[in-house]
Amino acid sequence: MIPDEAHGVIGLQPSACTSCMICVRECPTWCIELESHTEEVSEPGARRPKTINVLDAFRIDFGLCMYCGICVDLCPFDALAWSPGFDHAASSAGGLVHGINELVNWWPATNPSPAD
Amino acid sequence: MIRVDAAEWRSTIAGFHGSGCTLFGFLTGVDRGDSVEIIGRVAHPESIEAHLISTTIPAGGTLPSLNDLYLGASWHERETGEMFGITFAGLTDARPLLRRAQQGSPPLLKSSVLVARVVREWPGAAEASDDGRRGGNPSRRRQRPAGVPEGFMQDEADGRSAIGGT
Ligand code: SF4
Ligand code: SF4
Repeated sequence: MIPDEAHGVIGLQPSACTSCMICVRECPTWCIELESHTEEVSEPGARRPKTINVLDAFRIDFGLCMYCGICVDLCPFDALAWSPGFDHAASSAGGLVHGINELVNWWPATNPSPAD
Repeated sequence: MIRVDAAEWRSTIAGFHGSGCTLFGFLTGVDRGDSVEIIGRVAHPESIEAHLISTTIPAGGTLPSLNDLYLGASWHERETGEMFGITFAGLTDARPLLRRAQQGSPPLLKSSVLVARVVREWPGAAEASDDGRRGGNPSRRRQRPAGVPEGFMQDEADGRSAIGGT
């Protein structure tokens, strides 16, 4: 029986991620990669359009990750969370690199989405 | 933790083995500069009795192996020997685990340069304003990671970024 709060794998909630790069820069093993671009959005009533970061790609290489949890602790937007998932073994090193699609699936069911 | 002279390393642990601590926990090293500290743990399989034993040998030194007392010590001694550049005398299988033919400096010595950090672009260098391109901010990429001496492989690193960093 694996408890819900087990540190098995890391999940991402892309809608909460602001592409701030904090996790990428603080990860001791350099195993997070993020690609993003900026877009201008104009809101009704605002004088100038504001610039927002748009997340394009987010990858964690679980072959390099040492499961220290620094990224989870430091994310100011709670976009990263521990998940009890554990069955992410792969038959090749590349299979351990999880992109947004895989990381979303790891988002723990017990966690409310911070974006909601 | 019990600290013993290197000459008493084996006899101390053999004593614990004789009194029932037949379970080998682990063995590892710590780089202390001119010396390497070796720490081992043995335990009693049916009680809570356990002992941490430590000794210090000069860098590149030799310590008698425990692999005739504890078969499980072989793996740890192979690993510690390779990672810290020391020898366990009497270890039956001392083949390196990670590197072929013990090339380069032992990886876990602080004097070993983190080459991978110099040749690889830091993922944290990217900025959102780079429109998704990585390695956008040249000043950040030049950051020297801990343990890399000044000027180490600078030419190669520059050459690489000149090609890769569009
Ligand atoms: S758990 Fe640690 S090593 Fe893994 S991605 Fe997060 S910061 Fe990096
Ligand atoms: S620290 Fe959080 S918000 Fe910032 S880039 Fe990482 S996951 Fe996204």
